Amino acid sequence: MIRLGVDTGGTFTDFVMMDSSQLKVHKVLSTPSNPALAVIQGLQDLGVLGKEVDIIHGSTVATNALLERRGARLALITTAGFEDLLTIGRQTRRELYNIMVEERRPLVDRQFCFGLSERIGYDGQIILSLDLKALDRLIQKLKRNKIESVVVCFLHSYANPAHERKVGEKLARSNIYFSLSSDVLPEYREYERASTTAINAYVAPLMDRYINHLEKELGGASLKIMQSNGGCLSAAAARKKPVTTILSGPAGGVVGASAIAFQAGFRRLISFDMGGTSTDVSLCDGAIMTTTETEISHLPLKLPVIDIHSVGSGGGSIAYLDEGGALRVGPQSAGADPGPICYGKGEEITVTDANLVLGRLDPGHFLGGTMKIYPEKAHKAMAEFARKLNLKAEELAEGIIRVADATMERAIRVISVERGYDPRDFALVSFGGAGGMHACSLASRLRIPVVIVPKNAGVLSALGMLLSDVVKDYSRSVLIRNEKISLEEINRLFEPLINQARQDLFKEGFTSGRLRLLRFLDVRYVGQSYELTVPVSARFRHDFNRLHLRRYGYADASRPVEVVNLRVKAIGLTDKPPLPKLEKRGKPLSQALLDERLMIFEGQKFKARIYDRQHFEPGHEFDGPAVIVDYESTAVLPPGWQARVDRFGHLIMRTKK
Amino acid sequence: MNKINGVKREVEERSVFDPVELEIFKSIFISIAEEMGVALMRSSFSPNIKERKDFSCAIFDEDGETVAQGDHLPVHLGAMPLSVKSAIEASDLNPGDVVILNDPYRGGTHLPDITLVSPVFVAGFDRPLFYVANRAHHSDVGGISPGSMPVAREIYQEGVIIPPVKLVRRGRIDRDLLHFILANVRTPVEREGDITAQLAANRIGEKRLLEVVNKYDAPLVLKYMKHLQDYTERIIRKTLQAIPDGNYSFVDFLDDDGLKGKPVRIGVEVRIKGDEAEVDFSSSDPQVEGSVNANLAITLSATLYVFRCLVRGDVPYNAGLMRPLKLIAPAGTVVNARPPAAVAGGNVETSQRITDVLLGALAQAVPDRIPAASSGTMNNITFGGLDPRTGKPFAYYETIGGGMGASPERDGLSGVHTHMTNTRNTPIEALEHYLPIRIRRYCLRPKSGGQGRFKGGDGIIREYEFLTRMQVSILSERRSFSPYGLQGGQPGKKGENILISRGRKRRLGGKVSIEVNPGDILVIATPGGGGFGHCETKVKRKKQSES
Repeated sequence: MIRLGVDTGGTFTDFVMMDSSQLKVHKVLSTPSNPALAVIQGLQDLGVLGKEVDIIHGSTVATNALLERRGARLALITTAGFEDLLTIGRQTRRELYNIMVEERRPLVDRQFCFGLSERIGYDGQIILSLDLKALDRLIQKLKRNKIESVVVCFLHSYANPAHERKVGEKLARSNIYFSLSSDVLPEYREYERASTTAINAYVAPLMDRYINHLEKELGGASLKIMQSNGGCLSAAAARKKPVTTILSGPAGGVVGASAIAFQAGFRRLISFDMGGTSTDVSLCDGAIMTTTETEISHLPLKLPVIDIHSVGSGGGSIAYLDEGGALRVGPQSAGADPGPICYGKGEEITVTDANLVLGRLDPGHFLGGTMKIYPEKAHKAMAEFARKLNLKAEELAEGIIRVADATMERAIRVISVERGYDPRDFALVSFGGAGGMHACSLASRLRIPVVIVPKNAGVLSALGMLLSDVVKDYSRSVLIRNEKISLEEINRLFEPLINQARQDLFKEGFTSGRLRLLRFLDVRYVGQSYELTVPVSARFRHDFNRLHLRRYGYADASRPVEVVNLRVKAIGLTDKPPLPKLEKRGKPLSQALLDERLMIFEGQKFKARIYDRQHFEPGHEFDGPAVIVDYESTAVLPPGWQARVDRFGHLIMRTKK
Repeated sequence: MNKINGVKREVEERSVFDPVELEIFKSIFISIAEEMGVALMRSSFSPNIKERKDFSCAIFDEDGETVAQGDHLPVHLGAMPLSVKSAIEASDLNPGDVVILNDPYRGGTHLPDITLVSPVFVAGFDRPLFYVANRAHHSDVGGISPGSMPVAREIYQEGVIIPPVKLVRRGRIDRDLLHFILANVRTPVEREGDITAQLAANRIGEKRLLEVVNKYDAPLVLKYMKHLQDYTERIIRKTLQAIPDGNYSFVDFLDDDGLKGKPVRIGVEVRIKGDEAEVDFSSSDPQVEGSVNANLAITLSATLYVFRCLVRGDVPYNAGLMRPLKLIAPAGTVVNARPPAAVAGGNVETSQRITDVLLGALAQAVPDRIPAASSGTMNNITFGGLDPRTGKPFAYYETIGGGMGASPERDGLSGVHTHMTNTRNTPIEALEHYLPIRIRRYCLRPKSGGQGRFKGGDGIIREYEFLTRMQVSILSERRSFSPYGLQGGQPGKKGENILISRGRKRRLGGKVSIEVNPGDILVIATPGGGGFGHCETKVKRKKQSES
């Protein structure tokens, strides 16, 4: 069976195709107005359009609709008296010291936020029954106002979804899209639940149309959609819960990075994806980690999403001296247009320009030599800026890199040190256009001993999609206290979730043998508000105390605990052919040598070798300083580091003993 | 140190800082304070800390001057360094010591805010090279009413007073002291949990600072701490320089002090000269009998907040911010109360009015940069009693947002906390789970924002139904005096507190303590923000666009 990972990106739509023995990579310019066009074009180019292939697709349709506020015309139905739930949110402002702060924009217009008379108590008891007549009148009103999609969120619906379901039944009969909060996220905390549900309702009609269109064109192919939890999902299931597809692109990258690290023998890794405007990092300790505390476009999204920390530092980040005399780099970015000064059009110095001035970026081999670079412009601008600071151009360039590195170092510290992990126990997997130039210096700062620059680093997200399993997350708030918790009781409470999960994955075509049902508990000390997630076991209290100590610096085994949510991660294992090995022809390393050039590290000049990655073979080894050029990325091996090409073609870089 | 030496020292040091190192250290120092905050918020027990982020964390240099403070709560800005200085004055600090305090007259703000200060010792130095501190609002610290925000006459009624004393000596917690404190509060188990979380947050700060010293050497770290303070000073001076020289004054009033129905005057004159400012509150009323007195820390915080808001872009908060500012607040006034004045409301209410008058004064100097008055109150509500479900006592405190004042550029936000606070609400589903209370309504208060070319934000209506007998305290403002509009904009609507008991509606004062019965309903309607600019301008514009 042929499997294809297809990742829609801002500039390119990437394809990675794999049959039993071969891996094929392809790129097509993205078509933002209708992303399906590029997908179909690529499949045609690869000769698989209309054929029976497995496609796992990472789409930006939902994400972009949300970021650009182009989603459905929404209405909210909630408990009467709480119509402003989405506007008030947590009643805080985003910027503490901005007295002219811009307005918050909820996804639902105030005029379309409706309250219905009903009330359910915290224990699930119905205090006031739902006013069905008012509901009928309201549905007429929704139709008159041409509402496309409805968010339904009643107070305490996680404890008793009866009223929401009743509204759902009526809406279904009226042919209006709707999302029930008790379906999307049956957890307590009304604002976060409503917000997550609103995002789902907002993108649902668009996603539905997109999938329809794609399926029609694809013919016999089976289409799966990538999700932000690192797994994929059948197109049919994704239509119902498109909120799970938001942020699926970066998730694909983490899946790809961890698959490659596992293959190279590293179970603990930090993925490092440095692009033009931002850098994404994620920690994987034997398994990919998810979080339920994501915010997108300033809206909380409480579903499990791969825990990716993002900072505004990338190749295009602009360097400037601020009012107080500090050298700042980013978060403003020159992006792709006008881009860095060395691209010809830009006027502000960027991280890429600094790399060029230091000789780390090779003007002759940029994008395989297809893009013209203007090093003299970058040198001139750098020298002018440096003069103002009484520095040499190279000193300033190194300073810019150090500031950018400090921002990225901080990002990695947030996901490692601050959560009780020591970066020295991890490998750094670098990808993205600019990552390779910074990975080793960053690793040195954090004392990370190994850097992996994967082969096919430019299409890692698509590769990750291709390698993903089907993953569905289930949760339920239970809020049970210490004295009432027993393993039997927990098992009993899990039953409905497990049954649902099993059913859903059977529907996705998996047999029992290919199912993994992982059970977790969200636990906290009684009285706290933030939970930590631990696997279900007789020792869960112990595990919780240990994790609490690691994360927050103290634990108290005598304090009563509370189980807040039950979680099930249901995994359907897909058939994945092993990644092909790199062919060994027996040619020497010298055939990969392109050039030698002077480079600057910590103020000192070094003669560095430039290698063409296309000519590497397994077993090739060399010392830094060196630069490895690939079609779309460059890796820098600083002095004191050595690199080896492994049997899959990945570059494994280590500090010299 | 005399002035001449100070200037000379500055010049010397400025000539040697590296713009790259400055940026890197800035990011390190801020991140340490932020990391302390994350740990504290996530592992604490008081709703005020964990859900509502009513806390602050900061790191300090060897002199106890702030180097960086997390973007937590403006009302703590000025008070944190005073805590550290009180701790230093109070005792000889040894490695492993932690000082606890809440005394508003010795480094505190109001009693529920408990602060922990830890010295950070570095091997090879016999005195602390740094300090770390965090302050958090506890749900209850005793006193005459649950939640410790009563309508009081003197501070002794507001709760247990903790002067700066060592809670931890050389790494060993003083159990006697802890038990003494816990014996004076209504919810001791929760308090102990919060104090443990606060201790852990300071340890994290200490640990991170020691890692930085290991990497960069102590003298360099200390040097860049000073550089960072200078950096903030340079930026604030530039901001002041851009304000036209002159004297600008403004007066506004607190409704009353909760005991006597008499308005309390807060007056200010801001004197801008070059890149410095003198902020003079001498025209404010003498301190009052009720609990709306502010101590100096609060007045300082409000002043720092306002000037920090004038800076465009981000600047780390630290001691540099204060250097070009001179604060004049005569002792014995409502903006610098002397003991034993009650102060619970100074922190939450008077701080907002101080902000209002400062902004009102500055609006004359830079009219295009200052918004109309925001709701001007935190609408503090505290409940306490016995939970019939568990038989255990409970104490709970929350605040309610209001309307933000319209600015010269846009409408004000609705239903939001403004100025000196930014605490989150407690989810209704969490509140109903843990307290014998049902929320009947939580929505915006229509038409409460002042009209104008730009409209003030609307306030909030929050309606509570009590499911058991309990004691309720309300500490609220802007029930008599409206939030002002600017440049012809209308004022925001005043707030209202209403009790519905057995079908009878009764209007309550702004500051009351009452007993309520099951079935009673309390409606709090919070003030809207003031409008900005004449309405006509808006009408005209609209007509033009229609034609």
